[in-house]
Amino acid sequence: MNENLRAVRKWLLTMLLAMGIGALFILLISENPIDAYAALFKGAFNGKLKFGTTLASFTPLLITSTAFAIAAKAGAFNVGVEGEVFLGGITAAYIGINWTFLPDPILLVACFLGAMIVGAAWAFIPGALKAYFDVNEVCVTILMNSVALYITSYLVSGPMSAGVANAQSDPVTVNLYQFLKPSSANTGLFIAIAAVIFIIWMLKKTTFGYKIRTVGTNPAHAEYVGINPKKVFIQTMMISGALGGMAGCIEVLGVHGYFLNNFATGLGSNGMLAALIVKSDVVLAPFMAFFLAILKSGAMGMQQSTGVPKSIVDTITAVFIIIATMELLFQFTGSKKRKKKAEKSAEEE
Amino acid sequence: MKFSNIVNASLIYATFRSATPIIYAALCAAITQQANILNIGTEGIMLVGAFTAVTVSYLTGSWVLAIVISMLAGMVIAWIMAIGHIKYQAEICAIGMGINMFALAITKFLLNSILGKSGSFTDPSIVGIPRVHIPFLENIPVLNQIFNDWCITEWLVIVLVIVVTFLFYKTVWGLRLRAVGKFELAAQTAGINVNAMKYQAILISGLIGGLAGAHLSLGYSKLFTEGMTNSRGFMGVAAMYFGGAHPVFTALGCLIFGFADSIGARVQAYGVPSQFVLLMPYVITVVVLAISMISKKSAEQKKKSSLTGGN
Repeated sequence: MNENLRAVRKWLLTMLLAMGIGALFILLISENPIDAYAALFKGAFNGKLKFGTTLASFTPLLITSTAFAIAAKAGAFNVGVEGEVFLGGITAAYIGINWTFLPDPILLVACFLGAMIVGAAWAFIPGALKAYFDVNEVCVTILMNSVALYITSYLVSGPMSAGVANAQSDPVTVNLYQFLKPSSANTGLFIAIAAVIFIIWMLKKTTFGYKIRTVGTNPAHAEYVGINPKKVFIQTMMISGALGGMAGCIEVLGVHGYFLNNFATGLGSNGMLAALIVKSDVVLAPFMAFFLAILKSGAMGMQQSTGVPKSIVDTITAVFIIIATMELLFQFTGSKKRKKKAEKSAEEE
Repeated sequence: MKFSNIVNASLIYATFRSATPIIYAALCAAITQQANILNIGTEGIMLVGAFTAVTVSYLTGSWVLAIVISMLAGMVIAWIMAIGHIKYQAEICAIGMGINMFALAITKFLLNSILGKSGSFTDPSIVGIPRVHIPFLENIPVLNQIFNDWCITEWLVIVLVIVVTFLFYKTVWGLRLRAVGKFELAAQTAGINVNAMKYQAILISGLIGGLAGAHLSLGYSKLFTEGMTNSRGFMGVAAMYFGGAHPVFTALGCLIFGFADSIGARVQAYGVPSQFVLLMPYVITVVVLAISMISKKSAEQKKKSSLTGGN
C-alpha cells in the first residue's frame, strides 16, 4: 500500500472514529445520533440562507487556518491568530469610520492594509521573544489573545462606542458586497481565496518560501547555508499576523458592518484546529476549514431540530484533533514489517 | 485614591487567594516539565476538574468526594494525553491544545445535558470546601486578617509545594524523573524505564490539575462557568518557566500574578476601566516570563563564554 493511500485511509478512519465517539456522547443523552448528523448536514446546505451562512463562516476559518499553518511551517505554534483577528477588526473599523476623506476603493484598501499592519505588529512581539530569547510562544500568544480581547472590548465600550446597549462601534462607511442575501456571505471569500493561493504559491515556489521551510525543518542547517533563521522566523510570524488581521477586516467590513465586541471568539482557535488536523499542510488546510465550517453552521440547525446541544460539534472536532495528532495510530500490522525493514536498511548503511 | 485602601494587610491574603489556583496549575506543569514534557493541556485538565468537582458536590453534597473524583477525572484526561504523546507520538503542543479544546467543549456539552444549564451553573446545594477558622487569632488584629479563615485547599497548596519539592530533589523517584528530563538516552542506559517515568509524571500531573480545578470551582468560588479557568493554566505554565520547574520558585512566580490580580481588583474602585484591570495579570505574566527568560539566556551565555575563555 503506498503512502498516499495509507494517508487517505488514516483520514477516513480518524473521521469515522471521531464521529463514532460523538455518536456515543449523543446516545449518552438518549438522542438518535443518525438523526442528529442528518440534521447537521441539512443545517449546513439546505437552502440559500444556510449555504450562505456556511460560506460566511468558512471565510475567516480559511484565512486563520492558513495563518496558523504558515507559522507552523517556520516552526512556530501561533495560537495568537485570534488576538490578531480582534485587533485587525478594530483597526479596520477605526479606519472605515474615521477616514471618510478617502474615496471608497482607496478607503477599502486602507482598511485592509491597516488591519494587516496591526496584526503583523502584534505577532512581531511573540515572534521576536521566541527568536531571540527562547520565550515559549504558545504561552505568550495565548495570554496576548486575552490582552487583545480586553483592549478591543475597552475601545468598543469606551472611546469608539456607538452608544447602544450592545458594546459595538458605529457602522463603517465602506462594506464588502454580500452576494447571497439574506446570509452574510460576502466578496471577502474571494479575497480570502486569493490570499490563500498567494500564500501557497509563496511557500512552494519562491525563495522566501524555501527559507521558511528550511528554518522550520532545520534551523541549524538554515544558518549554515546563510539564512538568518531568527529573521525568517519573525517575518513568518508577521505574515501569519497579517493574515489574522485580514480575517478580522473581512469580518468587520463584510459580515457585521461594525465592530461587535467579542466577535472573533473561536475564529482563531477553530482555524488552528483545522490546520492542526492536517498537520499544517497549507494545501489541505482549506479543505479541513471547509469541513469545520459545515460542522459549525450545521450545529445550529441540529440544536433546533433534534435537541442535541451544538457543543457536541466542538466535542467531535476536539476528539478529531486528538486522534489526528497521534502519528502512529492506524498503522496496523504493516507498520511493524516496515519498521523492521527500515531498521535493517539503517543498519546496512 | 487612598494608598492605604489599596495596600494594606488584607492585600496579603488577597494576593495568596488569587495565586492559589495558579500555583496548583503551575505544579501540574512543573511535574511533567521535569521529565521534559511541556504540559500545555494544564488548562484543559483544570477545567475538567472544576466541572467534575461542582457536579459531584451538587449531586452528592460531599466536598471530599468531589475533590477525589475531580482528581481522578483530571488523571483520565491526562491519561489520554499520555497515551497520545508517548505511545502514538503525538506532538505535545498539538495534543495539549486538542485536550484544551476537548475540555472546553465537553464541559459545555455536559453542562447542557446533565445539569441542563448553559453559560454557568450555581446552586445553593453545591457544598464548597470549608474554611479553617482559628479561634485564638481572632484577637490579634493583623494576623487575624492575614491567616484566619483560609480555605482548606489554600493550606494544602503550601503542603503540596513542600511535598513536590521533596519528591523532586530528595527521593530516588525524583532523581530518576529529572534524569529522564535531562538526558533520556542516559537515563535509559542507567536502567530507568523512561516511558514508565513519563506516564507516571503525566498521570500525577493530571491528579494535581484536577485538584487545581476543584479548588477553583469549590474553594476559590462556588460555581462553574464555561471556560472558567480563563487562561489560569497557561499562567501556571508561564510561572513554571519563570521558576525553572522548581516548585518553590514557581510558586513565588504565581504570587506575582496574584498580586497583579488583587491590586487590579482594588484599583477598579477608583474609576480605572475594568478591561485594563482584567488585562493586567496577562500583561504582567508575559512581561515577567520575557524578563526571566532573557536573564536566563544572558546568564547561560556568560557561563558559556567563561568556559571557552572569552571566545
